[in-house]
Amino acid sequence: MNAIDGTVRQVKTDDTPPPSLLAIVLDTNPHAWAHLSSTLPLSSAIANLLVFINAHLASGNANEVAVIASHSRRAQWLYPTPKGPISHHPSSNGDANGDIEMNGVSHPNGSTTTTTPAKENANKYRPFSTVENAILSNLSNLLSSTTESDLASTPTTLIGGALSLALTHIAKSTLLHSPVDPLASDNPLSALADSESVARTQRIPLTSRILIISVSGDLANQYIPVMNSIFAAQRKRIPIDILKLAGDTVLLQQASDATGGVYMKPERPEGLLQYLMMAFLPDAVARRSLVMPSAGGVDFRAACFCHRKVVDIGYVCSVCLSIFCEPNLPGNLCLTCGSYLSLRAAQTATPALVARKKKKRKRVAGTDSATPSGTPAATTPMHP
Amino acid sequence: MADSDYDFEEDASDDEYIGSKAASGRSSRASGAVGLGKRKTQEKEKGKATLAWERRGSEASIEYDLELDGDLDLGEESIRQSVQEKEEERKRKRLRKDTKPFQRGIIRHVVLVLDLSEAMLEKDMRPNRYITMIKYTQEYVREFFEQNPISQMSVLGMHDGLCIRVSELSGNPADHIAAIQGLRFPRNPKDIPKEPKGSPSLQNALELARATLYHTPSHGTREVIIVFGSLLSLDPGDIHQTIKACVRDRIRVSIIGMSARLRICQEIVSRTNAGDESEYVVATDQELLRELLLATTTPPVVRKDRSAASAESTAALMMMGFPSRVVQDVPTLCACHGVLTSGGYTCPRCAAKVCSLPVTCPSCQLTLLLSTHLARSYHHLFPLRNWAEVSWRRAREKGSVECVGCLAVFPKPPPEDPEAGARGGGGGDDEMAVDGPVGGGGKKQAPEDEEESEEQRASESSRYECRVCESHFCIDCDMFCHMVLHNCPGCLSHEPGAG
Repeated sequence: MNAIDGTVRQVKTDDTPPPSLLAIVLDTNPHAWAHLSSTLPLSSAIANLLVFINAHLASGNANEVAVIASHSRRAQWLYPTPKGPISHHPSSNGDANGDIEMNGVSHPNGSTTTTTPAKENANKYRPFSTVENAILSNLSNLLSSTTESDLASTPTTLIGGALSLALTHIAKSTLLHSPVDPLASDNPLSALADSESVARTQRIPLTSRILIISVSGDLANQYIPVMNSIFAAQRKRIPIDILKLAGDTVLLQQASDATGGVYMKPERPEGLLQYLMMAFLPDAVARRSLVMPSAGGVDFRAACFCHRKVVDIGYVCSVCLSIFCEPNLPGNLCLTCGSYLSLRAAQTATPALVARKKKKRKRVAGTDSATPSGTPAATTPMHP
Repeated sequence: MADSDYDFEEDASDDEYIGSKAASGRSSRASGAVGLGKRKTQEKEKGKATLAWERRGSEASIEYDLELDGDLDLGEESIRQSVQEKEEERKRKRLRKDTKPFQRGIIRHVVLVLDLSEAMLEKDMRPNRYITMIKYTQEYVREFFEQNPISQMSVLGMHDGLCIRVSELSGNPADHIAAIQGLRFPRNPKDIPKEPKGSPSLQNALELARATLYHTPSHGTREVIIVFGSLLSLDPGDIHQTIKACVRDRIRVSIIGMSARLRICQEIVSRTNAGDESEYVVATDQELLRELLLATTTPPVVRKDRSAASAESTAALMMMGFPSRVVQDVPTLCACHGVLTSGGYTCPRCAAKVCSLPVTCPSCQLTLLLSTHLARSYHHLFPLRNWAEVSWRRAREKGSVECVGCLAVFPKPPPEDPEAGARGGGGGDDEMAVDGPVGGGGKKQAPEDEEESEEQRASESSRYECRVCESHFCIDCDMFCHMVLHNCPGCLSHEPGAG
């Protein structure tokens, strides 16, 4: 274009940092927060977290944030606010009825979303207050809808679901920011109409990361979903940062290690804001030039499926990949999938080498047996 | 006599040779479609215009879509809609068809055979087949080891009548990628780059692959994947003997052809795959080549009849080491490459230090890996089921306004049924087709198994429903969840026993 009309049109230079999407998974497990209430009550943790979110939003104009609560029985969006199904009453889902409600979609539904305009403070930066209001109201909705039976049923939290939600959100946002994949351009017509201008402005890569503020201990029941999420994050180069306020899980350590995130287990949880600001605020670009806190040794050893013993050398079923600590299984059947396993077949059959004939042996053979061979072996010099 | 037509091609002059190539390229469209149909990945728009030179890579697809919709002569809104539907359809057909939890051969031993014969200089893929293949196979190797971390691979090349070994059987993707790159840009500056030359020999390739896979343990699969651009095979002996030997050695061959279907390839594939010919496919353009390559990263289903024949060789208990990581201040030599590295993993049996995992311990032959490598294969064992298309009626019933995963807003359903039917022919057809099964399923839930067997199509309402949790997702989340994440965010965000 420069060559055609002689104008100097510079493509936007990269002096501004790329937009960064921070997805926060907040573990709101009521059991764990109850334990923490003496040092760090949930309310002050939320206050600290909001300051941190504001700091993240303030450090770049295009920065985005997404907050997901990983509650005891469900994982729920805190920000952005989901609109929820419109005709939720199964009794009155006639076609005409649905249509009328559908017209009101653009307006947030009164029952589910409560963005209270009255509360807005004129002295507050507008994006901060929208995020804060949304998070606070959604969280209070979530907490008030938690029944006692929910609490009694499970002591753990749905971290796998929250991670999956965060990952799908990040995947979609990344697509919207840079439709690099021609197969995945979200709106083909806009690309057609003014592809030049749209493409140029939109092709700024989005760097995203996930921060898990975890308080729950045992997450073993969600091993496979969490593992799948970790691998997805690894493939999409999304670092998963862990701030472990209480409890201890190898699973989350592995998550941060595999994805190159930060793992922190602060000794004094009441200094939450300090930890957040110092360790977790820099995005992936800034981290390259910083010395990040490291987790130290991560335990990668596997626990066997039979006795939950941590093993160095294990025996793995070739069908279902279960790990056992000893090769003597009852009836040689896999405890998980029930297939017949043989230990012998697992050994690699190395190709048999044909032994080279040696001169010496020939000489021995020639001497001890009086064969009437025409050429004695001793007379023909052979190199081995 | 399968050899006769090869001889004809060999004797023909150059002009004739090219001419016959072009003709076969044209006919390959039909044959490719047949092969695809067997794989159940057939595209609908296939019949319209898919000659390789018309598509010319991905940038032409927009143009092509326009032309297609111009034919339909619809209003602007419906053009937009059908363009979007086409896009979604194309994305969705890449989803894996079979989500039933079959027993799969998780531990794979794969020999990838690349065609380096002169047929690869054809320019029907840009810039030519050879460069395209080199580009996609590197991506393929990376993806293969993502999906199959405890598998082994070796790369061979059919070059000038011989079969050359590009890389040894190993589990390290970097080795293979470097070796494949080294074909075009040799590491050693004295070497000359391998340009496609001469004729390929399927027999030599199979024999070398057989020799490579000979000593692999019996609980793993033995697979040969051939990327075959040529229309002939110049063999030194009787290839049928080789096929017999491959069948005896439990080797499964899958071939990705590039120009046309060949009888001999069909025979190789069907005999080594117990009569199943779906492993022989023909890529008519480069996008399809990439997809077909990536489709083979899914571990193959273990066949029942075969396992009955040799019961003792199906499953085994493998001894594996789970090494611990060591952090060292002073660099030490690693046992695998003999280079100085600081830190690494020590073998729990012999305490040799290796620098990367998974690997076979160079000193005691123990398989060393992390428990996370095992976990990486779990999604093959417990696959995420495909999501169903959602009709407008169903969308209205559920009242979903946004994707559960990414909160993207869905398009609003059209006001009423009769109007929706009148909105242009294409949309009406789709509505009828999609409405049928879902409507039959009643208000509660889409029928399970009959839907499973259906073709993956675009949904008219841009919504896709998880059959378990009844959440609605957008196409991007559908793709992401099935191809990358392997989780359903909807199912996981609600406790299963919520009731």
